[in-house]
Amino acid sequence: MRKHGLKAASTALLAVGLLSLFLSGCAAPIAKGNFIEGDVAGGEAETLNWMLAADASSFGYVGYTLESLAGYDNQFNIVLRCLAKDIEASSDGLVYTINIRNDLKWSDGSAVTAEDYVYSLKNLMFSDWLNYNYKDDWQEEVDGKNQFVVPAVVDNTTFTVTRESVQPEFVYTLYDLIPYPKYIAVKYEGNVDAFTQAKEFNDLSYTGNLGPYKFKEWLKNDKFVLARNPDFFLGKEIGAPFFQEYTLKMFGTSAVMQAALEAGDITYCGLEPQNVLKFKNMERINVYTVPTRGYNIISYNQRANGWEGLRKKEVRQAISMAVDKDTIVKKIYLGFAEPAYSFIPSSSPWYSDETVLKLGVVPLNNKEKAREIIKSAGYQYGKNGDRDVLLDKDGQQVKLLMVTTPGSDVVESMSLLIKQELAGIGIDVEVKWVQWPTLLRQYMMNKVPGSSQESRYNNGPQAVSEESWDMTLMGHNTDPLAPSGSRVFFASDGGLNSFGFFNNEVDVLFKKIRSKEGLNKDDRKMMYQELARLISEDQPVDFITYTRGNHGFQKSVKGIEPGINMGYNQYLWHFE
Amino acid sequence: MRSYIIRRLIYSVIIAWGILTITFILLRVGPTSPVDRYILNIAARGQDVDSVRQAIEARYGLDKPIIEQYLLYMGNLLQGKWGWSFSASQPVLDLIGSHWIYSFQLILLSTIFAILLGVGLGILSAVKQNTKFDYAASIFSFIGISIPGFWLGLMLILVFAVYLGVFKTYYDTGYPIWSVENLRQLTLPVMALGIGELAGYVRYTRSAMLDNLRKEFVTTARAKGLPERTVIGKHVLRNAVLPLVTIIMFDLGSIVFGGAYLTEIVFGIPGLGQVSFNAIFANDYAVVIAVTLIGTFLVLFINLATDLLYTYLDPRIRYD
Amino acid sequence: MTETRSMTRGKAGMPVYINRRLMNYYWERLKKNRLSLVGLGFIVFLALVGIFGPLFVQDPQKVDFEIKNMPPLGCSIQESVYDIKTSEFTTTLINGRADHPLGTDSKGRDMLAMLIAGSRISLLVGLLASGMAIFLGTFIGVLSAYLGGWVDNALMRFTDIMMTFPFFLLLVLIVFIFGPSLAIIVLVIGLTGWTGAARLIRSEALSLRTRDFITASKALGASDARVMFNHLIPNVISLIIVMATLSIPGVIMAEAALSFIGLGDPMSTSWGTILNTGQHSLDTAWWVAVEPGIMLFFTVLSFNFFGDGLRDAFDPKASV
Repeated sequence: MRKHGLKAASTALLAVGLLSLFLSGCAAPIAKGNFIEGDVAGGEAETLNWMLAADASSFGYVGYTLESLAGYDNQFNIVLRCLAKDIEASSDGLVYTINIRNDLKWSDGSAVTAEDYVYSLKNLMFSDWLNYNYKDDWQEEVDGKNQFVVPAVVDNTTFTVTRESVQPEFVYTLYDLIPYPKYIAVKYEGNVDAFTQAKEFNDLSYTGNLGPYKFKEWLKNDKFVLARNPDFFLGKEIGAPFFQEYTLKMFGTSAVMQAALEAGDITYCGLEPQNVLKFKNMERINVYTVPTRGYNIISYNQRANGWEGLRKKEVRQAISMAVDKDTIVKKIYLGFAEPAYSFIPSSSPWYSDETVLKLGVVPLNNKEKAREIIKSAGYQYGKNGDRDVLLDKDGQQVKLLMVTTPGSDVVESMSLLIKQELAGIGIDVEVKWVQWPTLLRQYMMNKVPGSSQESRYNNGPQAVSEESWDMTLMGHNTDPLAPSGSRVFFASDGGLNSFGFFNNEVDVLFKKIRSKEGLNKDDRKMMYQELARLISEDQPVDFITYTRGNHGFQKSVKGIEPGINMGYNQYLWHFE
Repeated sequence: MRSYIIRRLIYSVIIAWGILTITFILLRVGPTSPVDRYILNIAARGQDVDSVRQAIEARYGLDKPIIEQYLLYMGNLLQGKWGWSFSASQPVLDLIGSHWIYSFQLILLSTIFAILLGVGLGILSAVKQNTKFDYAASIFSFIGISIPGFWLGLMLILVFAVYLGVFKTYYDTGYPIWSVENLRQLTLPVMALGIGELAGYVRYTRSAMLDNLRKEFVTTARAKGLPERTVIGKHVLRNAVLPLVTIIMFDLGSIVFGGAYLTEIVFGIPGLGQVSFNAIFANDYAVVIAVTLIGTFLVLFINLATDLLYTYLDPRIRYD
Repeated sequence: MTETRSMTRGKAGMPVYINRRLMNYYWERLKKNRLSLVGLGFIVFLALVGIFGPLFVQDPQKVDFEIKNMPPLGCSIQESVYDIKTSEFTTTLINGRADHPLGTDSKGRDMLAMLIAGSRISLLVGLLASGMAIFLGTFIGVLSAYLGGWVDNALMRFTDIMMTFPFFLLLVLIVFIFGPSLAIIVLVIGLTGWTGAARLIRSEALSLRTRDFITASKALGASDARVMFNHLIPNVISLIIVMATLSIPGVIMAEAALSFIGLGDPMSTSWGTILNTGQHSLDTAWWVAVEPGIMLFFTVLSFNFFGDGLRDAFDPKASV
């Protein structure tokens, strides 16, 4: 069970409560056995030298050996890890004080100190020579210029991070923080080649007592093996973790992986929807169905090189209204998904069911009504053979181009299903499959024609992409805790607003949420509700579904709490 | 003889250099870039893609002019530095070092399997020419040549692992290479990979045997009253070996990055094939060039070995 | 062989020889090989199916999620749909139906229609790519043999390099870099697969060059090009035909293998692409992986049968 980008945990209180529960309920578990998790090839990490990584898997792999400052449980409560107590924000929301535990050790026995954290931020992550990929998370805009936040050491176990502008959701970035050992990193400082190839960073030999496991072996395309770390700072008292080894095993296809689970060769893997019932009926297997962070969207190109109808809100609504989300849930996910209406999933604490416009489900799933709306927006229907087809202003039949990437059966099925649905309102869709880099470069990146601009994903309202397109179908991950990260898609200056959606009210709300006004959680929730309503009404994209994940475990594994962050208490899992 | 070998070696190096250069140009001039796989993740997190692109290009020296990159790479190679695999985050030689054995054992076993069975069936077929056995063997060899190895692999998994449960559905690296379990779990992959070669060897052996059976010395030997075993074993087979060697050697050279790779994918064997093709998809040129060079030298070495073997098998052949 | 030869010029300016007596002779020899006729029959059948089949079945790209994952006629499977609100499953039995005799895939596309569309792609790719490879090979071989000197040297060294290149690795590399489309796949196979033909044709042409009728026509003042096109090529044409026939299965397999590893043209339906999706549902919808493999197998088998017969028919030494 991979933790998501080093995010995994529960409230300290809850963890203690739970612990006493199972310690009193049954005999204390002993460490035994090898937990083997199945994974489908392609999801392998890039590097264990995580500061150079861009992919979630790398952070996931490293997360077994290094704990971040804090994580979240299934209800999104904060669970402390390396923190001695929760991060304190000053009343003006600008200064964060971080207290770490005093029993954290590197492999050479030296203590992990506030200096390690501040050094990692200042000398590594903020440096020019290393080029940390997620620098942006640590920058703020002051007087139109990007600058880094300012970390400072207070004492051995305390440091502060100071901002000049308020951003209530910045604290989640802090929770994810992991340090590099200063005593090793100084050797490589300034030399990116040496840093990249540094042995200590690539074999994780520095991790001390910072994680439940120690790195043991990594055979590419095959397995990543971890050995129990008896010194783990959270587990020393109770003997956790309770597996002698933890192995991530890669499989070529999910069919083979699930066969291995069925045969008992592996302990756990994700299940495909069509196999869930079969595994549920098995004696030796437990299946958990949990929400995920994944969702799919159709973006409507509102720039000058998309069909002009898509620039009208009513037409976008009508198209979304014609795509039946329940059919997608039933036919493609076999029920393991729920309709999506905005960028805030129902599992998020900021979700509200009331305000969003629920397009694509009954009663707002109605092809007749969709046609009426399109007609009242000034378009007409004509005949092509015996079919009703939508006509453009100049009498031409409307044909839309939907661009998407090949390789995923779900995305392929969905694009074909959407094509079928839109044929029902007289719109012909041509589905085009292109590789990711092509999609990014030729369809998503844009610039003002004839200008000397560098292509970016959003170069303002006048910019257009190299190739014209009308819709794209893509999968994304959302952050249920800090959904305002989605501003990159929906704000006028959002860096990934490649579809050209510009709404002043939306901009204002995003700004407010990420400012002083968002400090009050009730106010923030109100603003999120309003934002979700605005975006679901304007429908710059059709949010299709939030998917459910299915996890199959051997029944002998105990201590699992199913939920969106089910890996948070993984170090307490054990064989009976 | 020695000068011949030296000439061949020099020639091999030139060919290898040509291949290296072509590969380098293909990888670095094409529209794909090693940065591509980063972009997706970076973009998904809403970070500034351009600055990250530049940073990563600078990190791996991809921002320099192509010719400079090429000279740099060649310079390093001449010093024995094979470079750093940025997709696997380890030195290229380490990467190859930990994976080659999985390909090697598969290829070795399937070649042995194919030669033993193939040559055996071929001899029997030739001896029993135009009998039912001969026809059956002929049909079997046609089937073996025509069946796509990767599909046969899938079908073997479907029948023996999924439905019958006789074997695991995947290759388990947990077993040591030198163990009975490992040998057992290689059964299906070896069959899937070896059946095509096997079928080929049946045909080649049969026709080579028949060619020689018609020769005068066989008639003479028989006339002398030598037992049929001796005639077949000593006179016919010995002369039929030469063309067979060529075929076997050729197969060995071409199988490494062809059939073996597909078999590795189907059965989840972490061999060199998988490593090299993943490197292609990641645009990891240090690895791609290294494995291409290995493949090239392998073929060149096999060619040379074949030629030398000829002189041993047939003393009439000389290369001076 | 030189007396009665009537010659017409093909559209491309290539001379095409029609010699009825010779054709009849070859046909008689070919007819004696029954397997080869079976092969030819299946190829013709497949070509007809590829050309006219799409007229009789539904659009292979037509999706219908109401009938997805339908098993072939006579089989049945269960499908369960989950309800998030009640956590209950609704299970339905899906039976094979006569209107989709071979079943449907995960998108409800008719397998029969897709296999027919795939036969068109496979034959097209096979013919075009091996045609291109053989044409290039012949051209280079004849040129090399006839011009000799440094041209011969340069061309043969280049052939050596291309021959040593691990073929499938090169294929994957180029297709990955330039994007998976049918045109690219055909071009790459055509541009890389000519080496064997070039060598063979060259050696054949070299031995022909010394023959009387070539010397004679040169003495009569025929230009180099004329000698090459009018005399050398016609004399190796039987070799070319056999090679082309026998190289088609390799090309079809290569295309299928590329598609199988995900480098097929996503806009077209080929047997390999169907196989690729099928391997992911091997445990639930086995027919999606089994059926295209069977087609692939029979097609390759037929070309091998036919090519084999053809070779024997053209080979004056072979007894048929």
